[in-house]
Order: sequence, then C-alpha cells, then structure tokens
Amino acid sequence: MKVQTIILAAALYLAPGLLNAQFDFKVGERDIQIHSFAAQGFAYSNDNNYLTMDTSHGSFAMTDGGVNIATSITDKFRVGAQVYDRNIGQLGRGTASLDWAFGDYKFKDWFGIRAGKVKTALGLLNDTQDMEFLHTWAILPQSLYPLDLRSNTIAHTGVDVYGNISLAKAGSLGYTAYYGARAIDTHSGIYFAAADAGNPIVTMSGKTAGADLRWNTPIQGLMLGGSWSKQTEDFVVTVSTYGNIPLSGTFTPQHSTSVYGDFARGRWHFNGEFRKNREILEASLFGVPSVSNLGDKGLFLTAAYRVTKYLELGTYNSRYYVDAPTDLRPQANHIFDQTVTARFDINKWWNVKIEGHFINGFGDTYSAHGFYTRNNPDGLKPTTNIFVIRTGYNL
Amino acid sequence: MKTLKCLLIVVAAAFGMTSPIQAADVKVIANSSVKADSISADELKGVFLATKTSLSDGSHVEPVLEKGGATHEAFLKAYLGKTDAALNTYYRSLVFTGKASMPKTLGSDAEMGAYVAKTKGAIGYVSAGASPAGVKTLEMK
Repeated sequence: MKVQTIILAAALYLAPGLLNAQFDFKVGERDIQIHSFAAQGFAYSNDNNYLTMDTSHGSFAMTDGGVNIATSITDKFRVGAQVYDRNIGQLGRGTASLDWAFGDYKFKDWFGIRAGKVKTALGLLNDTQDMEFLHTWAILPQSLYPLDLRSNTIAHTGVDVYGNISLAKAGSLGYTAYYGARAIDTHSGIYFAAADAGNPIVTMSGKTAGADLRWNTPIQGLMLGGSWSKQTEDFVVTVSTYGNIPLSGTFTPQHSTSVYGDFARGRWHFNGEFRKNREILEASLFGVPSVSNLGDKGLFLTAAYRVTKYLELGTYNSRYYVDAPTDLRPQANHIFDQTVTARFDINKWWNVKIEGHFINGFGDTYSAHGFYTRNNPDGLKPTTNIFVIRTGYNL
Repeated sequence: MKTLKCLLIVVAAAFGMTSPIQAADVKVIANSSVKADSISADELKGVFLATKTSLSDGSHVEPVLEKGGATHEAFLKAYLGKTDAALNTYYRSLVFTGKASMPKTLGSDAEMGAYVAKTKGAIGYVSAGASPAGVKTLEMK
C-alpha cells in the first residue's frame, strides 16, 4: 500500500473524531453543523484486476471520505459545502475536490433554487453514491453507478430548481430540474479507457441539463421515479497510430433516461433501476468524418433483509449491456454481476460489510466499467469473482 | 388452513405489520410562535421528512426528534411509516448532499418540552400523558 494511501486513510479516520467536539455549534443565533464520513476497503479477486486496483493480489487501495459544513442564514436561505477525496486504485488518486458548495433559497415548499456546485439528481442513487453508509452494499451496482465514471454525472456547477408538491391522497411529488457545467476528473475511467485504446484524452468538458421526478406513492414505503438528462461533451484526443495528431469530436446526441423504484416495508428493502445512455460520437480525421455508437444500457434489482439491529443481508443482480461493442469477443458486450452482502452495523456510525461479486463479462474497450487492459496486460478472463470487505463511519 | 394462518403471521411480521398504529400514545407539541392549532398527518410527515418548512398558515417550522424510546417509536410508526434506522439513513442522505441539516434530537419528554417551549418554530412530540409547560398541543386534523 502506498504511503499516500495510508496517510489519506489515517487523516480521513481521524478527522471525524477531531471534529466530533464541534459537530454542532452556534455562531450568533445560527446553528452550524459539521459532518464527515470515511471508508476503507479491501478487494481480492481470483483473476482479473478490477477497478484499477491490483485485486488479484489483494488491494487496500480503496479509501474515500468527505467533510461538510452547513448552516441556515435565514429560515429560507441555507449555505453549505463539502470536500470529497478518494483513492480507489488509480481513480481519484487522493486528490481532494469540492464535492458540492451552494446556496439554497426556498421560496415555498413547492419551489426553491440552488445555485453553485450541486449534486446531480439522476436516477435512484447518483447523488448519494459516495456515501456507502447509506447503502447495504460495499460497492453499488456498477452497471449504472460505475466508480470509474463517477465524475461524469456526480455534480454540475450551475442552478437547480426544485420542490415538493402534495398530491393529497395520491402522495407527493418531488421534482428537480437543473442546468450546469460538468467537470470530468482526469483520474477517471474514461481517461484510462481512451488511453488504453491508443487515444489519450487531452481535454474534455461538457454541460448537462435534465430533470428528475420522484413520486412518493400512497402505498407506504413505495417511491417511483424517473430522470432524463442531456449532456454535451467536447473533447480533444491524440491518435497514437497517426503520430499523436490531435482529434476533436463531440457527442451528438448524448442523453440518459432512467426509471427506478424503491420499496421499504418492515425489515425488507427492495429497489431497482433501468437506464439507457444514448451516445453518438462524431469526429473527423484528415477530413474524413466518422460516427460511432458508444451507447449502453443497464439495470439492477436489489433485495435486502434486516435480520437484527446489527445485521442486514442482501443480494443484487446488476446487468450492463454495450450497444455496439468494438471488441467482438462475446464477453465484451456485457458485464453481469450477482452480488451477496452481509452488512454489520457496529453502532449508528460504524459499519462493516462483507461482499462477494460473481461477474460474467468485462465490457468493451470504451466501457470504463472496472476492467482495463493496463491492469490486465495478460488479457481479460471471461469471469471474475471478487471478495470485498469495507468498513466506514459517519458523524 | 392452520399452515396458511401461520404463513400469513410470518409474512405480516416480516413486513412489520403486526403492531397496530399507536398514534393515541403520542401528543404533537409546538412552540407558541406556530400559529396553527391543528396539523394534518400529511403536513406532519412533510415537516419531519424535511420537505415542508412552513405550515399552510405561513409559520416557519422545524422538526425536533427524541433519540429513542417508546414515544419515538410510536411517533415514527404512526406518522412517518419509517423505522428509526430508515429515518436516520434518510436524514443522512439529505445532510451529505447539502439538502437539509440534521434535526435536533433530545433524550426525554422533559427535554423535548423544554426545547420546544424556547425554540421558535419547533415542532416535536411527547407521550400522551406528558404535559410540558409553555408549549401548545397541535390537534391532528
């Protein structure tokens, strides 16, 4: 394990304890809250290395955490910010970044505005994907929430309008609509995949606009929702086969459509989501235009049962499909993952998860869903079994 | 038939449907700054799930929770339809995405009564038998 990883892990674990004393304090008449979380994992796989970690030899390079501060300036106006840091294999590389930072003015319960850097409401889990303590799983279904591509969708710098509308006996409807710029992490899977394919990325940036609707139905514990998001992504890569000449391109169109549901009743918790990403890449080399379909789709279904206050058991099936794989091997057009998990809640703030992943397929060169040539120089095997243990806490 | 009955009991237990709703065991209280004298179950749920920060009369409100115990459990079951763990997870999902602050939590009916009495806009709950001073009781519509 790198020294950098050890220092990062130690800092993230110490920070909440140090901050605990000032978890909630007053300045004038206003409460200020500080919260933090941290997690450390270990992953061991039988064959393929996963998520840019050296999992075939066992890897502790799975550390992340964040700290936030927030307060209400008035009854209607809140401000806050969170810093997030992760070191998962080569993803993130321990570079702290501003996760969210915004002002939030709530005119009415049915209409508010957030401006700044805001977590993007896309699908069931996009905005909470980093907070492992909120979920049963050590690793979320990677078909829709790949750790590699986190920065593509996690937040935007712009503006949200949001609200909650009572539907009386029909429940309530929460909505969010947004527009802003996306910042894509240079230590993310899309950079690794492009480099592996011989086209390292020089620049990449884009914008996003979209909306999310969540219906809290009158059936206790049942929520249904849908999201639609349009993205732009302009980039310049170099083409190694032609002497590293620059190539620019854009995705036309690029959008995501998602439907999802969540049902919790008693000791049971189920949820699921289906998402279709349409991505048509247009580029031109030596004046010759090219069009590539980089679209994909995925779904997952989960079930979890709370056995005791201290133990929850769960399983999910996650399925990822590549629309038009460039790699013609049969395992390149999909990644299917059957996962089983035991989550132990030591107390309200600290949990340990033990998880097994049984994966079939490895996706396409451009998928950036866990499997890369650079980590698997001897070639990818058709199946991968992975054992993960992850512990985390939050205050 | 007996087997079927046993099966239904097991299923009901698994989905947490065996205990009757115990709204009668809980009294909803508010700071005197809250103009309303009554509140609907939907409004109360909205306040405690942080989707509602004002009542229909315009009063700004903020929820206050007990840390645990029978009154707390009865309130969650009767009005929020969530377990304590699920409510904690829900609040943390808001806190760590910047959408809300963690509500104040207090250890007893006495602490709850004292806090609600002195805090503008506070809405909380105590056991039906408690009569904290300086607060108003909100009737359920």
